[in-house]
Amino acid sequence: MSTPTSSSVPAATSEPVVAPAFLSSAWRIYDLSLGQMLWSRRTVFMVLVVGGPVVVALILRLLVTMDLVSGRGMVDDRPIIVDGPIIFGLMIWGFYLRLSVPLLGVFYGTALMADEVEDKTITYLFTRPVSRGAVLFGKYLAYLASTGLVVLPSVMLVFFLVVPLLGGDIGSNFPSLVTDLALLAVGLAVYGALFALIGAWFKRPLLIGLVFIFGWEPIMVVVPGYMKRVTVSYYLQGLVPHATPQEGLVSTILSILQANEVLPSAAVSVIGLGFILVIGLGLATWLVERREYVLEQ
Amino acid sequence: MSVPVVAAEGVSKWYGQVIGLNDITVDVQPGVTGLLGPNGAGKSTFLKLITGQLKPSQGTVRVLGEPIWGNPALYHRLGFCPDQDSFYERMTGQQWVTALVRLNGLSETDAVEAARRALDTVGLLDAADKKIGAYSKGMRQRVKLAQAVVHDPDVLVLDEPLAGMDPIARRKVIRLIKGWGREGKSVLVSSHILHEIESMTSTILLINNGRILAEGNIHQIRDLIDEHPHTVRIQADDPRRLAHAFIEHDGVRSLTFEKGAVVVETGKPDAFYGRLTQIAASGELGEVHEVSSPDDNLQAVFEYLVK
Amino acid sequence: MTPIHDQSYRRYAGVRQEPGAAWLVIAATGIRTVLTKKFFWLVLLAAWGQFFVRAVMFYLSANFSNLDLLAPSVETFRQFFEIQEIFVLFVTVYVGSGLIANDRRSNALQIYLSKPLTRAEYVAGKLGTLLFFLLLVTLAPALMLLFLEMMFSASLAFVGANLFLLPAITLYALVEVLLSGFTMLALSSLSTSARYTAMLYAGVVLFTAAVFGIVNGITNSSSLAWLSFRANLDQIGDVIFRLQPRFESPWLLSVVVVALLIGLSVFVLERRVRGVEVVT
Repeated sequence: MSTPTSSSVPAATSEPVVAPAFLSSAWRIYDLSLGQMLWSRRTVFMVLVVGGPVVVALILRLLVTMDLVSGRGMVDDRPIIVDGPIIFGLMIWGFYLRLSVPLLGVFYGTALMADEVEDKTITYLFTRPVSRGAVLFGKYLAYLASTGLVVLPSVMLVFFLVVPLLGGDIGSNFPSLVTDLALLAVGLAVYGALFALIGAWFKRPLLIGLVFIFGWEPIMVVVPGYMKRVTVSYYLQGLVPHATPQEGLVSTILSILQANEVLPSAAVSVIGLGFILVIGLGLATWLVERREYVLEQ
Repeated sequence: MSVPVVAAEGVSKWYGQVIGLNDITVDVQPGVTGLLGPNGAGKSTFLKLITGQLKPSQGTVRVLGEPIWGNPALYHRLGFCPDQDSFYERMTGQQWVTALVRLNGLSETDAVEAARRALDTVGLLDAADKKIGAYSKGMRQRVKLAQAVVHDPDVLVLDEPLAGMDPIARRKVIRLIKGWGREGKSVLVSSHILHEIESMTSTILLINNGRILAEGNIHQIRDLIDEHPHTVRIQADDPRRLAHAFIEHDGVRSLTFEKGAVVVETGKPDAFYGRLTQIAASGELGEVHEVSSPDDNLQAVFEYLVK
Repeated sequence: MTPIHDQSYRRYAGVRQEPGAAWLVIAATGIRTVLTKKFFWLVLLAAWGQFFVRAVMFYLSANFSNLDLLAPSVETFRQFFEIQEIFVLFVTVYVGSGLIANDRRSNALQIYLSKPLTRAEYVAGKLGTLLFFLLLVTLAPALMLLFLEMMFSASLAFVGANLFLLPAITLYALVEVLLSGFTMLALSSLSTSARYTAMLYAGVVLFTAAVFGIVNGITNSSSLAWLSFRANLDQIGDVIFRLQPRFESPWLLSVVVVALLIGLSVFVLERRVRGVEVVT
């Protein structure tokens, strides 16, 4: 340790006392948080969530090789011809859009600040010259990067494993892969923003997030009227080029009630999703700036 | 009087039905100030208010003349060492301090250099590239100090900075804190260990049950505690003759004898010391070897005011 | 008698419970802790929503002959449990995710196990807390509905014609809560974060359902229903309620999978619930 005579603190760059720039602060927080998110035990969860479809894709290849898949399937009690692209579409909807993306959104989005509070490291971030909103936004960007880095390669792997099955062609279906990748990125962004808001607002954000994904959304999407517009999956459906199976007893009952299901146009979907993203992140930032975080003693 | 470093005006803070701080008005002056109080007194709440982590339920808190809540720019000039033992465990000390000082706007190169200097200051340069998860308790405390000072702040707020340190490290950190005070930094150190505070500063802020009990110099505070007489121990050749001389003094409340010494309790310490000095200088009642005041210290102040 | 009473520490001289009762203390404390949370009362209220709806339906069918279609049947009780599945998931996540994870996080596990209680009692106590609430949203409302059916119809005809219904409700509820309870406890013992545990559990339940759904859609065969956590319970439920099993997969295979899952959970709990980390 330095002797008392040289106990002077480091002569760091003397900073003018001005309000820190939001985006530059957010970028530094992103830099700090990305490593934390990627190299943590939560990555195990991410890998399980996105590795599962890859394992299923491998199993399907095996089943096809053993001639155990006939090419005829059932979706929503409707018989369909099943080939590689159809299977891929089912997996995009069933695994990624209805499960992985919302789950990752709930898990990471609600935990953007909650993780730091639980680990009691939030003090270090809140006593630096960065605004709290920038901390949230930076962590949101890190969430997008880390989930994107894991989800998108998983999708590509599944594409190359599944699409060639039962006569499917990779070349002609490649544009739909690009669309799907963009769709999943949008889903991650929008769900992340929404659950960032829920995380900033509520004390039990995880349960509320699960209720939203697995209670509210499946029911509201099939309820006739405007209620479906208060979901994210309604707008995502408008961008999905594939079959969109409904699941569960409840949705079967409710589907009897629905008249003509009209999906939103791509433009409406983009506007709706953009609105949810901007409002979600904006409100979350506003709340975080004003909220006090009392650490557990 | 200089501009206070921290100015709290009518500050109260409650958590639901529980009052953490109760109508506190206090100015913390530049220099090293000890924030003292038993567990649950409100020290941490006060520190969280002045570092902008909590907002007062009532009143205002200003640091360096500006409100601290919602004012991140002020953190360029403020460094905080919290009491909780929490880190990004997978990072090395170097990486962690670098990452945090980058939030002050430093470039990567400058940040690395500043971090190294801060770690050297607290004696962690050798362990800079070890993961914080592998640090001992004392090292963890020091790396916390490093992140608090790395950006050369004007004001340092240290919450129990010596917790878990061995005696040698403790001494070194106390020397560091005193050094920062001499350099012109304002340091507010919180502790419930009295002799630590005493070794760092004689200026204290005493808090209990959410209220400020006393602020200022330890000795001045002691003088003002009238209901507790001062105790003076005099070691002399002939304690009994000294006692005989003192007993006529109207400020003396009691006398007790120890081997080779007489212990006097007086309600008028200044007058008593004047008389004692005369007696000692004249030598008429034998030689006076040693004069000490067992309760002219922080322990006594603490006990008298808190209990 | 001395006039000045001894103020020093005195040993407890009262009655001590027999060894083996400590799990009750842990369970009771856990239950009390959860009941103090207002948000949980909302979850409970929502979970009993179906009960109130069906109670009204039973009342109407019993008192208005033209509303016979609302009359209860065995399928009614089967469907009751199906709809309650989502609340079983929410309650399991809310109550169960932190049961052991929080103790591990705060090093309380070592304190527990330094007391005169066995690891089995500790696990039993934690399981007791979770099972209490799970039974509160499954067995309790189902039995209440059966009771109300008798009361509203003023007749034992339905119960008499379906005597197996009472044991069926009890058995299925027990299978469901034991599987959910053990699985959640095992996952909770693997982590120090309640949130992480909750997501793991939700992921296991929902992901296996998705796998089965996809494979079912592609292959047009439900012979792989045993892959799904929920589908196994559905299959067993159909058999318990004497209905045609909905999937092609053998129901005995579902029983085996459920038993294996419970067994695996017990194994994990035995390895993880320890006073000290065992480094091999």
